[in-house]
Amino acid sequence: MEERFDCIVVGGGIAGLSAAMVLARANKRFLLIERGEFCGAKNVSGGVLWGSDLERLVPGYSTDADAGFERFVGHRRLTFLDDQSSFSLDFKSGHFHETPFSGVIVLRARFDEWLATKVQEAIDASSVADESFLATNVLVDRVIQEDGRVTGIQAGEEQFFADCVILAEGVNNLLTRQVGLQPDYVPADHVAVGVKEVIGLDRTVVEERFQLDGLAGMTNEFVGYATAGVEGGGFLYTNRESVSIGLVLGMKDLREKRVKPYDILNDFKSHPAVADTLRGGEVLEYSAHVVSTGDMGSMPKQLYGDGVLVVGEAGHLLMNSGRAIQGMDYAMRSGILAAETVVEAAADVDFSSSSLRRYEQALEASFVMKDLKGFQDAVHLLHDPIMYEKMPAVLCDFGRSFFTVESEPTEKAIKSFRKAAKKHLTTWELVRLSAKAAKSL
Amino acid sequence: MELLSIAERLGKVAYRNQGRSEARAHIEVDTDICNATCPHKCTTYVCPANCYTLDEAGKVHFQFEDCIECGTCMYACDQGAVTWRYPDPEVGRGVNWSLG
Repeated sequence: MEERFDCIVVGGGIAGLSAAMVLARANKRFLLIERGEFCGAKNVSGGVLWGSDLERLVPGYSTDADAGFERFVGHRRLTFLDDQSSFSLDFKSGHFHETPFSGVIVLRARFDEWLATKVQEAIDASSVADESFLATNVLVDRVIQEDGRVTGIQAGEEQFFADCVILAEGVNNLLTRQVGLQPDYVPADHVAVGVKEVIGLDRTVVEERFQLDGLAGMTNEFVGYATAGVEGGGFLYTNRESVSIGLVLGMKDLREKRVKPYDILNDFKSHPAVADTLRGGEVLEYSAHVVSTGDMGSMPKQLYGDGVLVVGEAGHLLMNSGRAIQGMDYAMRSGILAAETVVEAAADVDFSSSSLRRYEQALEASFVMKDLKGFQDAVHLLHDPIMYEKMPAVLCDFGRSFFTVESEPTEKAIKSFRKAAKKHLTTWELVRLSAKAAKSL
Repeated sequence: MELLSIAERLGKVAYRNQGRSEARAHIEVDTDICNATCPHKCTTYVCPANCYTLDEAGKVHFQFEDCIECGTCMYACDQGAVTWRYPDPEVGRGVNWSLG
Protein backbone atom coordinates (compact mmCIF):
# COMPACT_ATOMS: atom_id res chain seq x y z
CA MET A 1 0.00 0.00 0.00
CA GLU A 2 1.35 3.41 -0.86
CA GLU A 3 0.09 6.63 0.62
CA ARG A 4 1.60 10.00 -0.06
CA PHE A 5 1.53 12.86 2.44
CA ASP A 6 2.88 16.38 2.59
CA CYS A 7 4.71 15.42 5.76
CA ILE A 8 5.25 12.44 8.06
CA VAL A 9 5.96 13.10 11.75
CA VAL A 10 7.61 10.26 13.68
CA GLY A 11 6.73 10.48 17.37
CA GLY A 12 3.71 11.80 19.26
CA GLY A 13 5.51 13.57 22.08
CA ILE A 14 5.54 17.30 22.59
CA ALA A 15 7.87 18.06 19.65
CA GLY A 16 5.90 15.89 17.21
CA LEU A 17 2.48 17.09 18.36
CA SER A 18 3.57 20.74 18.21
CA ALA A 19 4.75 20.23 14.63
CA ALA A 20 1.47 18.46 13.84
CA MET A 21 -0.57 21.35 15.26
CA VAL A 22 1.15 23.83 12.94
CA LEU A 23 0.76 21.50 9.93
CA ALA A 24 -2.95 21.01 10.65
CA ARG A 25 -3.54 24.75 10.92
CA ALA A 26 -1.73 25.23 7.60
CA ASN A 27 -4.08 22.65 6.01
CA LYS A 28 -1.25 20.22 5.30
CA ARG A 29 -1.89 16.52 4.79
CA PHE A 30 0.24 14.67 7.30
CA LEU A 31 0.66 11.37 9.08
CA LEU A 32 1.87 11.38 12.68
CA ILE A 33 3.04 7.96 13.86
CA GLU A 34 3.31 7.09 17.55
CA ARG A 35 4.51 3.68 18.72
CA GLY A 36 2.71 3.86 22.08
CA GLU A 37 -0.87 2.77 22.67
CA PHE A 38 -1.70 6.48 22.88
CA CYS A 39 0.35 9.66 22.61
CA GLY A 40 2.25 9.91 25.91
CA ALA A 41 2.21 6.19 26.69
CA LYS A 42 5.98 5.94 26.20
CA ASN A 43 6.99 9.35 27.47
CA VAL A 44 8.65 10.39 30.72
CA SER A 45 9.81 13.75 31.98
CA GLY A 46 10.53 15.43 35.30
CA GLY A 47 8.30 17.46 34.31
CA VAL A 48 7.97 21.17 33.91
CA LEU A 49 7.06 22.65 30.55
CA TRP A 50 8.56 26.13 30.83
CA GLY A 51 7.72 29.22 28.84
CA SER A 52 4.59 30.44 27.13
CA ASP A 53 4.53 28.63 23.76
CA LEU A 54 1.69 26.40 24.98
CA GLU A 55 -0.56 29.46 24.97
CA ARG A 56 0.37 29.96 21.31
CA LEU A 57 -0.42 26.37 20.49
CA VAL A 58 -3.60 25.96 22.56
CA PRO A 59 -4.95 29.48 23.21
CA GLY A 60 -6.95 29.76 26.43
CA TYR A 61 -5.69 26.46 27.89
CA SER A 62 -4.97 28.17 31.22
CA THR A 63 -8.63 28.73 31.95
CA ASP A 64 -9.69 25.25 30.85
CA ALA A 65 -10.16 23.07 33.94
CA ASP A 66 -9.79 19.96 31.77
CA ALA A 67 -6.53 21.04 30.17
CA GLY A 68 -3.83 18.37 30.41
CA PHE A 69 -1.46 20.06 32.83
CA GLU A 70 -1.26 19.29 36.55
CA ARG A 71 -0.46 22.69 38.07
CA PHE A 72 1.05 25.97 36.93
CA VAL A 73 4.36 27.14 38.40
CA GLY A 74 3.45 29.50 41.25
CA HIS A 75 6.38 28.93 43.61
CA ARG A 76 9.99 28.08 42.88
CA ARG A 77 12.72 26.79 45.13
CA LEU A 78 16.36 25.82 44.61
CA THR A 79 17.73 23.75 47.49
CA PHE A 80 21.29 22.83 48.45
CA LEU A 81 21.59 19.73 50.62
CA ASP A 82 24.23 18.21 52.86
CA ASP A 83 23.50 15.00 54.76
CA GLN A 84 21.26 16.66 57.37
CA SER A 85 20.50 20.20 56.26
CA SER A 86 18.90 22.11 53.43
CA PHE A 87 19.60 25.67 52.33
CA SER A 88 17.12 27.12 49.82
CA LEU A 89 16.61 30.03 47.52
CA ASP A 90 12.86 30.45 47.53
CA PHE A 91 10.76 32.65 45.30
CA LYS A 92 6.99 32.99 45.36
CA SER A 93 5.07 35.75 43.60
CA GLY A 94 1.55 36.80 42.75
CA HIS A 95 2.94 37.57 39.30
CA PHE A 96 3.25 33.84 38.70
CA HIS A 97 -0.56 33.66 38.75
CA GLU A 98 -0.82 35.92 35.69
CA THR A 99 -1.40 34.32 32.32
CA PRO A 100 0.27 33.18 30.17
CA PHE A 101 1.86 31.10 32.91
CA SER A 102 5.65 30.92 32.99
CA GLY A 103 5.47 27.16 33.22
CA VAL A 104 3.20 24.21 33.84
CA ILE A 105 3.92 20.97 35.69
CA VAL A 106 2.89 17.93 33.66
CA LEU A 107 2.62 14.14 33.75
CA ARG A 108 3.37 13.14 30.18
CA ALA A 109 0.97 10.22 29.77
CA ARG A 110 -1.85 12.66 30.53
CA PHE A 111 -0.48 15.84 29.00
CA ASP A 112 0.56 14.38 25.65
CA GLU A 113 -2.73 12.51 25.30
CA TRP A 114 -4.60 15.79 25.92
CA LEU A 115 -2.38 17.69 23.44
CA ALA A 116 -3.14 14.97 20.86
CA THR A 117 -6.88 15.62 21.25
CA LYS A 118 -6.19 19.31 20.53
CA VAL A 119 -4.23 18.36 17.41
CA GLN A 120 -7.11 16.12 16.30
CA GLU A 121 -9.48 19.09 16.76
CA ALA A 122 -7.18 21.17 14.55
CA ILE A 123 -7.16 18.40 11.93
CA ASP A 124 -10.97 18.23 12.03
CA ALA A 125 -11.15 21.99 11.50
CA SER A 126 -8.69 21.93 8.57
CA SER A 127 -9.62 21.75 4.87
CA VAL A 128 -8.00 18.30 4.61
CA ALA A 129 -9.68 16.77 7.67
CA ASP A 130 -10.00 13.29 6.14
CA GLU A 131 -6.45 13.18 4.83
CA SER A 132 -4.37 13.73 7.99
CA PHE A 133 -4.00 11.07 10.67
CA LEU A 134 -2.66 10.47 14.16
CA ALA A 135 -1.72 6.78 14.07
CA THR A 136 -0.87 5.12 17.39
CA ASN A 137 0.47 1.65 18.14
CA VAL A 138 2.71 1.74 15.05
CA LEU A 139 6.49 1.38 15.22
CA VAL A 140 8.55 2.97 12.46
CA ASP A 141 11.25 0.43 11.56
CA ARG A 142 13.27 2.60 9.23
CA VAL A 143 13.39 5.75 7.20
CA ILE A 144 13.23 5.21 3.42
CA GLN A 145 15.97 6.99 1.49
CA GLU A 146 16.28 7.27 -2.28
CA ASP A 147 19.53 8.70 -3.67
CA GLY A 148 20.39 10.09 -0.24
CA ARG A 149 17.04 11.84 0.06
CA VAL A 150 14.49 10.90 2.72
CA THR A 151 11.21 10.02 1.00
CA GLY A 152 9.20 8.14 3.60
CA ILE A 153 9.12 5.55 6.32
CA GLN A 154 8.58 1.84 6.68
CA ALA A 155 6.48 0.31 9.44
CA GLY A 156 6.28 -3.48 9.26
CA GLU A 157 5.18 -4.38 5.75
CA GLU A 158 3.79 -0.95 5.01
CA GLN A 159 5.51 2.02 3.43
CA PHE A 160 4.35 5.62 3.58
CA PHE A 161 5.80 8.43 1.50
CA ALA A 162 5.91 12.19 1.96
CA ASP A 163 7.70 15.34 0.77
CA CYS A 164 9.37 15.59 4.14
CA VAL A 165 9.83 13.56 7.34
CA ILE A 166 10.08 15.19 10.77
CA LEU A 167 11.90 12.99 13.29
CA ALA A 168 10.48 13.60 16.77
CA GLU A 169 11.49 10.23 18.18
CA GLY A 170 13.05 11.38 21.45
CA VAL A 171 16.57 11.08 22.84
CA ASN A 172 16.95 7.43 21.84
CA ASN A 173 17.06 8.63 18.26
CA LEU A 174 17.58 5.46 16.25
CA LEU A 175 16.19 6.94 13.01
CA THR A 176 18.31 10.12 13.32
CA ARG A 177 21.27 7.75 13.54
CA GLN A 178 20.01 5.71 10.58
CA VAL A 179 19.95 8.76 8.29
CA GLY A 180 23.51 9.60 9.31
CA LEU A 181 22.92 12.79 11.29
CA GLN A 182 24.20 11.18 14.51
CA PRO A 183 26.83 8.44 14.99
CA ASP A 184 25.44 4.95 15.67
CA TYR A 185 27.03 4.88 19.11
CA VAL A 186 26.49 7.88 21.35
CA PRO A 187 28.82 7.61 24.38
CA ALA A 188 27.71 8.12 27.99
CA ASP A 189 29.72 11.32 28.40
CA HIS A 190 27.02 13.86 27.65
CA VAL A 191 23.85 12.05 28.67
CA ALA A 192 22.23 11.41 32.03
CA VAL A 193 19.70 8.98 33.41
CA GLY A 194 16.58 10.27 35.10
CA VAL A 195 14.73 8.18 37.69
CA LYS A 196 11.47 9.25 39.18
CA GLU A 197 8.57 8.26 41.37
CA VAL A 198 5.11 9.74 41.36
CA ILE A 199 3.88 9.70 44.93
CA GLY A 200 0.17 9.92 45.56
CA LEU A 201 -1.24 12.23 48.25
CA ASP A 202 -4.74 13.60 48.79
CA ARG A 203 -5.32 16.81 46.92
CA THR A 204 -5.94 18.72 50.15
CA VAL A 205 -2.70 17.34 51.59
CA VAL A 206 -0.74 18.51 48.52
CA GLU A 207 -2.32 21.96 48.71
CA GLU A 208 -1.91 22.41 52.45
CA ARG A 209 1.53 20.85 52.75
CA PHE A 210 2.95 23.00 49.96
CA GLN A 211 0.73 26.06 50.60
CA LEU A 212 -0.77 26.06 47.11
CA ASP A 213 -3.73 28.16 46.09
CA GLY A 214 -6.01 26.56 43.51
CA LEU A 215 -4.00 25.11 40.64
CA ALA A 216 -0.75 26.80 41.67
CA GLY A 217 2.16 24.41 42.08
CA MET A 218 5.70 24.34 43.37
CA THR A 219 8.92 23.38 41.60
CA ASN A 220 11.93 22.47 43.70
CA GLU A 221 15.35 21.57 42.31
CA PHE A 222 18.05 20.08 44.55
CA VAL A 223 21.83 20.13 44.41
CA GLY A 224 24.24 18.29 46.67
CA TYR A 225 23.56 15.32 48.93
CA ALA A 226 20.55 14.40 46.75
CA THR A 227 22.81 12.49 44.38
CA ALA A 228 25.16 10.81 46.89
CA GLY A 229 28.28 12.23 45.28
CA VAL A 230 27.23 11.43 41.72
CA GLU A 231 27.13 14.33 39.28
CA GLY A 232 23.58 15.57 38.86
CA GLY A 233 20.64 16.91 40.82
CA GLY A 234 17.21 16.19 42.17
CA PHE A 235 13.73 17.58 41.62
CA LEU A 236 10.34 17.66 43.28
CA TYR A 237 7.26 18.98 41.50
CA THR A 238 3.72 19.12 42.83
CA ASN A 239 0.94 17.60 40.72
CA ARG A 240 -2.78 17.90 41.45
CA GLU A 241 -2.95 14.77 43.65
CA SER A 242 0.66 13.65 43.79
CA VAL A 243 4.25 14.82 43.71
CA SER A 244 6.90 13.85 41.17
CA ILE A 245 10.25 13.27 42.82
CA GLY A 246 13.39 12.18 41.07
CA LEU A 247 17.02 12.50 40.15
CA VAL A 248 19.00 13.23 37.03
CA LEU A 249 22.37 11.48 37.25
CA GLY A 250 25.36 11.85 34.94
CA MET A 251 25.67 8.51 33.17
CA LYS A 252 29.44 8.42 32.96
CA ASP A 253 29.82 9.34 36.62
CA LEU A 254 27.21 6.76 37.63
CA ARG A 255 29.20 4.14 35.72
CA GLU A 256 32.44 5.16 37.39
CA LYS A 257 31.00 5.34 40.92
CA ARG A 258 29.31 1.94 40.59
CA VAL A 259 26.01 2.86 42.24
CA LYS A 260 22.41 2.01 41.39
CA PRO A 261 20.18 4.95 40.50
CA TYR A 262 17.17 3.62 42.43
CA ASP A 263 19.28 3.21 45.59
CA ILE A 264 20.30 6.88 45.39
CA LEU A 265 16.63 7.78 44.92
CA ASN A 266 15.82 6.08 48.24
CA ASP A 267 18.65 7.98 49.95
CA PHE A 268 17.28 11.23 48.52
CA LYS A 269 13.74 10.44 49.68
CA SER A 270 15.09 9.69 53.17
CA HIS A 271 16.83 13.06 53.59
CA PRO A 272 15.14 14.84 56.54
CA ALA A 273 14.18 17.87 54.44
CA VAL A 274 12.71 15.71 51.68
CA ALA A 275 11.10 12.98 53.77
CA ASP A 276 8.94 15.61 55.49
CA THR A 277 7.29 16.51 52.19
CA LEU A 278 6.48 12.90 51.26
CA ARG A 279 5.00 11.68 54.54
CA GLY A 280 1.99 9.40 54.15
CA GLY A 281 2.43 9.20 50.38
CA GLU A 282 2.04 6.05 48.31
CA VAL A 283 4.25 5.32 45.29
CA LEU A 284 1.96 5.23 42.24
CA GLU A 285 4.52 4.77 39.49
CA TYR A 286 8.28 4.36 39.11
CA SER A 287 9.86 5.43 35.84
CA ALA A 288 13.22 6.17 34.26
CA HIS A 289 14.59 7.57 31.03
CA VAL A 290 17.80 8.73 29.44
CA VAL A 291 17.99 12.50 29.26
CA SER A 292 20.46 14.72 27.44
CA THR A 293 22.30 17.23 29.60
CA GLY A 294 22.58 20.23 27.33
CA ASP A 295 26.24 19.66 26.56
CA MET A 296 26.36 20.39 22.85
CA GLY A 297 28.97 17.67 22.47
CA SER A 298 26.15 15.13 22.11
CA MET A 299 24.13 16.98 19.46
CA PRO A 300 23.60 15.61 15.94
CA LYS A 301 25.97 17.22 13.45
CA GLN A 302 23.00 19.08 11.98
CA LEU A 303 19.23 19.00 12.45
CA TYR A 304 18.23 18.80 8.79
CA GLY A 305 19.02 16.89 5.64
CA ASP A 306 17.42 16.25 2.25
CA GLY A 307 13.75 15.69 3.07
CA VAL A 308 14.27 15.39 6.83
CA LEU A 309 14.15 17.56 9.97
CA VAL A 310 15.06 16.59 13.54
CA VAL A 311 13.15 18.16 16.47
CA GLY A 312 13.03 18.00 20.26
CA GLU A 313 15.24 15.67 22.22
CA ALA A 314 15.96 13.61 19.08
CA GLY A 315 18.17 16.63 18.38
CA HIS A 316 19.39 16.64 22.00
CA LEU A 317 17.61 19.97 22.48
CA LEU A 318 17.54 20.02 26.25
CA MET A 319 19.44 21.99 28.84
CA ASN A 320 20.01 22.07 32.57
CA SER A 321 21.54 25.49 33.19
CA GLY A 322 21.07 25.50 36.94
CA ARG A 323 18.04 27.79 36.67
CA ALA A 324 15.71 25.19 35.26
CA ILE A 325 15.80 21.92 33.35
CA GLN A 326 14.47 22.92 29.96
CA GLY A 327 13.55 20.34 27.35
CA MET A 328 9.83 20.29 26.68
CA ASP A 329 9.81 24.01 25.81
CA TYR A 330 12.68 23.39 23.39
CA ALA A 331 10.70 20.46 21.97
CA MET A 332 7.63 22.64 21.48
CA ARG A 333 9.47 25.53 19.83
CA SER A 334 11.59 23.28 17.59
CA GLY A 335 8.48 21.37 16.51
CA ILE A 336 6.72 24.63 15.65
CA LEU A 337 9.73 25.96 13.70
CA ALA A 338 10.23 22.70 11.80
CA ALA A 339 6.59 22.64 10.71
CA GLU A 340 6.74 26.28 9.66
CA THR A 341 9.80 25.39 7.59
CA VAL A 342 7.86 22.54 5.93
CA VAL A 343 5.04 24.96 5.06
CA GLU A 344 7.53 27.40 3.51
CA ALA A 345 9.36 24.62 1.67
CA ALA A 346 6.04 23.42 0.25
CA ALA A 347 5.35 26.91 -1.11
CA ASP A 348 8.74 26.77 -2.88
CA VAL A 349 8.29 23.07 -3.80
CA ASP A 350 11.81 22.53 -2.51
CA PHE A 351 12.55 20.02 0.26
CA SER A 352 16.26 19.82 -0.36
CA SER A 353 18.75 20.22 2.44
CA SER A 354 19.52 23.79 1.37
CA SER A 355 15.83 24.71 1.60
CA LEU A 356 15.26 22.97 4.94
CA ARG A 357 18.31 24.72 6.37
CA ARG A 358 15.85 27.52 7.15
CA TYR A 359 14.79 25.44 10.14
CA GLU A 360 18.24 25.58 11.68
CA GLN A 361 18.44 29.31 11.01
CA ALA A 362 15.09 29.87 12.73
CA LEU A 363 16.24 27.73 15.65
CA GLU A 364 19.50 29.72 15.89
CA ALA A 365 17.49 32.95 16.06
CA SER A 366 15.21 31.58 18.81
CA PHE A 367 15.74 31.20 22.56
CA VAL A 368 16.51 27.52 22.04
CA MET A 369 19.92 27.83 20.40
CA LYS A 370 20.68 31.23 21.92
CA ASP A 371 20.36 29.74 25.41
CA LEU A 372 22.00 26.42 24.55
CA LYS A 373 25.03 28.31 23.22
CA GLY A 374 24.97 31.05 25.85
CA PHE A 375 24.82 28.70 28.83
CA GLN A 376 27.32 25.99 27.87
CA ASP A 377 29.63 27.24 30.64
CA ALA A 378 26.76 26.86 33.13
CA VAL A 379 26.14 23.29 31.93
CA HIS A 380 29.82 22.48 32.45
CA LEU A 381 29.86 24.22 35.84
CA LEU A 382 27.05 21.94 37.06
CA HIS A 383 29.20 18.94 36.13
CA ASP A 384 31.99 20.20 38.39
CA PRO A 385 32.25 18.41 41.77
CA ILE A 386 32.84 21.81 43.40
CA MET A 387 29.32 22.73 42.37
CA TYR A 388 27.43 19.54 43.18
CA GLU A 389 29.45 18.47 46.26
CA LYS A 390 31.37 21.30 47.91
CA MET A 391 29.10 24.30 47.34
CA PRO A 392 26.05 22.67 48.99
CA ALA A 393 28.24 21.75 51.99
CA VAL A 394 29.45 25.36 52.29
CA LEU A 395 25.92 26.75 52.12
CA CYS A 396 24.51 24.27 54.62
CA ASP A 397 27.35 24.90 57.09
CA PHE A 398 26.81 28.63 56.69
CA GLY A 399 23.04 28.24 57.10
CA ARG A 400 23.48 26.19 60.25
CA SER A 401 25.66 28.89 61.74
CA PHE A 402 23.51 31.80 60.54
CA PHE A 403 20.18 30.33 61.63
CA THR A 404 21.30 28.81 64.92
CA VAL A 405 20.83 31.12 67.88
CA GLU A 406 22.89 30.18 70.92
CA SER A 407 23.41 31.77 74.30
CA GLU A 408 26.85 32.84 73.10
CA PRO A 409 28.13 35.98 71.38
CA THR A 410 26.87 35.92 67.76
CA GLU A 411 29.27 35.73 64.87
CA LYS A 412 28.88 38.19 61.96
CA ALA A 413 27.48 36.52 58.83
CA ILE A 414 30.52 37.22 56.67
CA LYS A 415 32.75 35.51 59.22
CA SER A 416 30.45 32.46 59.29
CA PHE A 417 30.51 32.29 55.52
CA ARG A 418 34.30 32.55 55.33
CA LYS A 419 34.61 29.78 57.92
CA ALA A 420 32.23 27.50 56.01
CA ALA A 421 33.96 28.23 52.71
CA LYS A 422 37.40 27.61 54.18
CA LYS A 423 36.32 24.27 55.65
CA HIS A 424 35.26 22.86 52.24
CA LEU A 425 37.10 24.86 49.59
CA THR A 426 40.67 25.90 48.98
CA THR A 427 41.14 29.60 48.25
CA TRP A 428 41.88 28.71 44.66
CA GLU A 429 38.66 26.66 44.35
CA LEU A 430 36.67 29.58 45.76
CA VAL A 431 38.23 32.02 43.30
CA ARG A 432 37.70 29.60 40.41
CA LEU A 433 34.08 28.94 41.39
CA SER A 434 33.24 32.65 41.81
CA ALA A 435 34.78 33.52 38.46
CA LYS A 436 33.05 30.63 36.66
CA ALA A 437 29.67 31.31 38.26
CA ALA A 438 29.78 35.05 37.53
CA LYS A 439 30.58 34.34 33.90
CA SER A 440 28.25 31.43 33.25
CA LEU A 441 25.02 32.06 35.15
CA MET B 1 7.06 7.76 53.40
CA GLU B 2 7.41 4.61 51.35
CA LEU B 3 10.86 3.26 50.42
CA LEU B 4 10.48 0.49 47.87
CA SER B 5 12.83 -2.18 46.59
CA ILE B 6 13.42 -2.32 42.85
CA ALA B 7 11.15 -5.37 42.59
CA GLU B 8 8.33 -3.49 44.33
CA ARG B 9 8.90 -0.48 42.08
CA LEU B 10 8.71 -2.57 38.92
CA GLY B 11 5.50 -4.02 40.31
CA LYS B 12 4.00 -0.53 39.83
CA VAL B 13 4.87 -0.46 36.11
CA ALA B 14 2.28 -1.45 33.50
CA TYR B 15 3.78 -3.42 30.60
CA ARG B 16 2.51 -4.14 27.11
CA ASN B 17 1.39 -7.64 26.18
CA GLN B 18 1.54 -8.88 29.75
CA GLY B 19 -0.80 -11.72 28.87
CA ARG B 20 1.44 -13.07 26.11
CA SER B 21 3.35 -16.16 27.09
CA GLU B 22 6.27 -15.31 24.81
CA ALA B 23 7.05 -11.76 23.81
CA ARG B 24 9.76 -10.94 21.28
CA ALA B 25 12.93 -9.47 22.82
CA HIS B 26 13.71 -5.92 21.65
CA ILE B 27 17.20 -5.74 23.12
CA GLU B 28 19.92 -8.26 22.39
CA VAL B 29 22.91 -8.54 24.67
CA ASP B 30 26.03 -10.45 23.74
CA THR B 31 26.82 -11.55 27.29
CA ASP B 32 29.96 -13.31 26.01
CA ILE B 33 31.44 -9.82 25.71
CA CYS B 34 30.24 -8.89 29.24
CA ASN B 35 31.70 -12.04 30.75
CA ALA B 36 34.89 -12.38 28.75
CA THR B 37 36.28 -8.88 28.27
CA CYS B 38 34.18 -6.14 29.91
CA PRO B 39 36.16 -4.38 32.66
CA HIS B 40 33.16 -2.90 34.51
CA LYS B 41 29.93 -4.83 33.77
CA CYS B 42 28.23 -1.50 34.38
CA THR B 43 24.78 -2.49 33.11
CA THR B 44 24.38 -4.64 36.24
CA TYR B 45 24.17 -1.48 38.35
CA VAL B 46 23.25 1.45 36.06
CA CYS B 47 20.11 -0.18 34.57
CA PRO B 48 17.15 1.46 36.38
CA ALA B 49 15.03 -1.67 35.90
CA ASN B 50 17.61 -4.21 37.06
CA CYS B 51 17.39 -6.15 33.78
CA TYR B 52 21.08 -7.03 33.97
CA THR B 53 22.06 -9.19 36.93
CA LEU B 54 25.16 -11.01 38.18
CA ASP B 55 24.91 -14.63 39.25
CA GLU B 56 26.95 -16.19 42.05
CA ALA B 57 29.79 -16.93 39.64
CA GLY B 58 29.89 -13.27 38.63
CA LYS B 59 28.38 -13.87 35.18
CA VAL B 60 26.08 -11.27 33.59
CA HIS B 61 22.53 -12.30 32.69
CA PHE B 62 20.00 -10.19 30.81
CA GLN B 63 16.21 -10.33 30.67
CA PHE B 64 14.10 -7.88 28.64
CA GLU B 65 10.74 -8.48 30.32
CA ASP B 66 11.24 -5.78 32.97
CA CYS B 67 12.74 -3.27 30.52
CA ILE B 68 11.13 0.18 30.72
CA GLU B 69 12.75 1.37 27.44
CA CYS B 70 14.78 4.09 29.11
CA GLY B 71 17.83 3.60 26.88
CA THR B 72 20.45 3.67 29.65
CA CYS B 73 22.24 0.47 28.60
CA MET B 74 22.59 1.69 25.00
CA TYR B 75 24.84 4.56 26.17
CA ALA B 76 26.40 3.04 29.29
CA CYS B 77 27.72 -0.05 27.47
CA ASP B 78 30.91 1.04 25.73
CA GLN B 79 31.88 -2.53 24.82
CA GLY B 80 29.47 -3.06 21.92
CA ALA B 81 27.50 -5.76 23.71
CA VAL B 82 24.06 -4.11 23.54
CA THR B 83 21.89 -4.03 20.41
CA TRP B 84 19.02 -1.75 21.32
CA ARG B 85 15.68 -1.47 19.51
CA TYR B 86 12.17 -0.37 20.41
CA PRO B 87 9.73 -3.18 21.21
CA ASP B 88 7.15 -4.17 18.63
CA PRO B 89 3.71 -2.89 19.71
CA GLU B 90 2.00 -6.20 18.85
CA VAL B 91 4.43 -8.93 19.83
CA GLY B 92 7.03 -7.12 21.94
CA ARG B 93 7.13 -6.11 25.56
CA GLY B 94 7.82 -2.57 26.84
CA VAL B 95 6.06 -0.02 28.98
CA ASN B 96 2.66 1.58 28.94
CA TRP B 97 2.96 4.51 31.33
CA SER B 98 -0.18 5.64 33.08
CA LEU B 99 1.38 8.83 34.49
CA GLY B 100 4.79 9.23 32.83
